[in-house]
Parts: sequence; structure tokens; C-alpha cells
Amino acid sequence: MNKSIYISIILVAVILGLMMAFQFRTTSGVDRGVPYGREQELAVEKRQLEKDMNQLREEVDDLSAKLEKAGKGHSEASEAFKSELSKVKLYAGLTPVEGPGVEIILDNLPETSRPGGSTSFYTIKDDDLLKVINELRGAGAEAIAVNDQRIIATTEIRQAGNHINVNLTKISAPYKITAIGNAVTLQSSLEIKGGLVEFLSDLGIMVKVQAKDKILIPAFTGGLRFDYARPAQRG
Amino acid sequence: MTTPGQHKEGEQFMWLGLWLAVFGLGVGIMIGLNIPLVLPQAYAKYMSVAALAALDSVFGGIRAAMENHFNNDIFVTGFFSNALLAAGLAFIGERLGIDLYLAAVVAFGVRLFQNLAIIRRHLLKK
Repeated sequence: MNKSIYISIILVAVILGLMMAFQFRTTSGVDRGVPYGREQELAVEKRQLEKDMNQLREEVDDLSAKLEKAGKGHSEASEAFKSELSKVKLYAGLTPVEGPGVEIILDNLPETSRPGGSTSFYTIKDDDLLKVINELRGAGAEAIAVNDQRIIATTEIRQAGNHINVNLTKISAPYKITAIGNAVTLQSSLEIKGGLVEFLSDLGIMVKVQAKDKILIPAFTGGLRFDYARPAQRG
Repeated sequence: MTTPGQHKEGEQFMWLGLWLAVFGLGVGIMIGLNIPLVLPQAYAKYMSVAALAALDSVFGGIRAAMENHFNNDIFVTGFFSNALLAAGLAFIGERLGIDLYLAAVVAFGVRLFQNLAIIRRHLLKK
């Protein structure tokens, strides 16, 4: 009876000693390690940061999708710009074009068949070419070239001695004027009774008008300089 | 209630038990300090409350021995149940978000001092 009391007392004392010793060791270990509260705090912070990270990831996905969309929009815009540019180039005569139209060949009569007088009197002048081009423009020609020199907004046609200068390039007879447009309209506007062809023939110039299904007109090849003209500010 | 002889005999037993307890405590502390086992820090709080409860039980036992109504069964069951209850209380408090272990600390602390005071009186009366 008494023995069991002592045994239980010893057992209890040993367990108590063990617990206290463990407690001493863990609490003295606190200084070396991270305090429990701090650990929990850090864990909470870590969880928060992970949540933030996930949110930021989602944001990244969202933004990159938006960026992609914007890039698509950008490429669409640049596509539109390109098509606009090519359209403008077409209007300005900076691209070769082809289509139905007429080909007019103007040539001097052989010297022998000229009706006498000064030979220079019956040669083709810049005026004659200008008249033809003016007539073609009036009939709705969309692109005109003289001896493969594209007629653009700044093109000059002027007499320079025995030659005619077009786009600062000397050309001489026979002159081949090509124009793209409604071939029937163009041809009939030239060959109309009392029209230009008759008038030129009367001047002793050989005129041949020919409608064609496919005419190729080259691009303007010279340089364009605008030293004075500037786009005006609008609004 | 008790005869002088019985009392003297009981006191003898008591002192033997006390020395044995001190001896056991020393052995336990030696073992605890020397085995390479470290409790996770998360359990330190429960352990501390359990140790306090156990300490209270031991002092209660000493007091009972002084008052000559020491009962081995009550002592042993009280020791373990108090320790486990205190640790469990701390654990539940942690889960509930209340510092429930403070209740255990206060309760056992008050009882500890009461027991100590009674033991002191018994020793001084002698």
C-alpha cells in the first residue's frame, strides 16, 4: 500500500520534472529561433502575399489580353494606313497602273508630204500635246502618260527647241499618249466631229487613236520637292 | 481524530514521500535536459499550462499530506486530469480565438499560492 504511494509520487515527480525541463528548453530556445507569435504573423503575411500574387497574376493576364487586343487594333490601324497610303499614292501617280483606255499616236507627216512652207510650221508643238491631254482629262482619264512619262500634278509640258520636255525629260516624235479610263468615252471625245483629231489632222499632224483593253502606265519616277508649300493648319 | 503515534508515523511517511518527490523531480529534470528531443514551439503554450496544473496538483498533494488526508488515487488522477484539462483548455482557447489558457493560469496560480500558504502555516505551526 505504502509502496504504491511512493511509486506514484516518484512517477508524478519524474513526469513533472520532465515537463518542466522540456518547458525550460523550449522557452530558452525561443531566443534562438523565431518566436511563435512572429511565426504566425509571418505565415499570415505570407498567405496575404500569396493572395496578392494571385490577384496580380490575374491582373497580368487581363492586361496582356488587353494589350493583345490593342496590338490587334494597332495592326488593323496600320493596315488601314497602308491602304490609305497606297490609295493616295495611286491618286498622286506614284504607282504603276493598268486598265482599259486609249493609245494616241501623234507623228509628224513625212517631210515630202507636208504642204509646203516652213517645215517647223507643221511639227508637233507642246500646245498640241497639252490639248490632247486636256481633252483626255475632260473625258475622265484617270492616268495619262506621254512616251511613258507619267503626267502628274507637277508635270510640265513645254517646248524646248526641237524637243518637248515632259517631267524634265526630253521626248521627241512620235509621241505616244496613253490614257486609262472609259475607252469608248475617251476615243469618242477625241474623234468627235469637229473635235481634236480633226483639228490636229488639219494642222498636218498624223493622229491615230486606238482603244485598248489593257494599257500599262508606269509610275512617276522623278523626285518630288516641296520647298515652299507646307500643309496649312486647319481649324 | 488521529492518534499521536499515527500522526507521527504519517509524518514520517510524508517526509519520505517529499524526499522521494524531490529525488524524482531531479531525475525527471536530468532526463528532460539530456534527451535530444525538442517540442515544437506551437505546443510550448499547452505544455506550460499543463506543467503549471501539474505543479498545482503536486502542491495540493503535499498540502493533503500535511493535513493527513492524502489519497493516492485522488493525487494521481488529479495530477493527470488537471494537466490534460489545462492543456486542452489552452488548445480549445486557441481554436476559439480566446486566450482561455489565461483562465487556467489564473485558477491554478491562485490555488498554487493558497496551497503554498497552507503548507507554510503547517510547517510554522510545528
